[in-house]
Amino acid sequence: MDSVLRAGAMYLALMVLFKIAGRRSLAELTTFDFVLLLMIGEATQQALLGDDFSLTNSMIVIVTLVAIDVGLSLLKQRSGWISRLIDGEPTIIVENGKLLHERLRRARLLEADVMEAARSSQGIEKLEEIKFAILERNGKISVIAQED
Amino acid sequence: MSDERDHPHLRSRNYPIREDMAYQLKVWRFERVGWYVLVLVVVLGLVGVFSRGLVSSRDVRSDDGKIRVEYEMFHRNGSTNPMKITVTAKPDSAVELELADQLLEGFSIETLQPEPLRSRSSSQGIRFWLHTDLNGLATLYITLRGDGLGLFRSQIASPGTSGVRLEQFVFP
Repeated sequence: MDSVLRAGAMYLALMVLFKIAGRRSLAELTTFDFVLLLMIGEATQQALLGDDFSLTNSMIVIVTLVAIDVGLSLLKQRSGWISRLIDGEPTIIVENGKLLHERLRRARLLEADVMEAARSSQGIEKLEEIKFAILERNGKISVIAQED
Repeated sequence: MSDERDHPHLRSRNYPIREDMAYQLKVWRFERVGWYVLVLVVVLGLVGVFSRGLVSSRDVRSDDGKIRVEYEMFHRNGSTNPMKITVTAKPDSAVELELADQLLEGFSIETLQPEPLRSRSSSQGIRFWLHTDLNGLATLYITLRGDGLGLFRSQIASPGTSGVRLEQFVFP
């Protein structure tokens, strides 16, 4: 019983934690973000398994995690409200070549982040060449170029 | 909040995506408040609310001063913490010590040093007999592992003295 509860509690705790961290936190993995992710994984592992390293226990934990994940995706399909709660919504951050500063500030983004996405996805050099930049639900920035 | 939504940057757009900025502002506010909560948890961890720190370490004596217990008030399930019990009695004699109430329900004793002269179960918990030194002091070092969850009230007593009451909390 406790294995299922452990896995459920850990799933919920990590979900809330990464909601607090925001969608950008692990969207663009830098080298250090990757190391951080490994460390979080290490810290989680012990709490998930406790002192029971049996095959059964690890399977119960994995099955619980996957079941919650599939269950949530089914719920998301049924209810727009839950989908919005868990995945969030996309946000426009550049409109017709102008940065929406108030939004950037709240999303903890810099102009450099927007330009990085613009260069890597569209080969855009200047902010004015961007028609729209949108901060997607998964934390990536998608860029739509101005038409000439 | 209304002036926040009136800002031209924060009004909802309909193209190229349909936005609900009122909701997005709530999400951002949640992230902000969440950040303060995270900092609070870190600070609480530093001062020892989750075991091993200033707030958690206790040093209590019985009213007559004959029993002294140093212990951690906050434990975590599965981790071990030390407890030190000092009893004052007649020099070079056996002294009885009782660990009573919920101590053994919430914790298991991993190590017990030095080995008592005798030990016996009692209706309340467990009794030990220790040998005092020439100054009349006997010390028992215990390593406790938190097994239960929640609050445990226990008592450490010796016949002829007022006992010490302990309250310990075990985190999941």
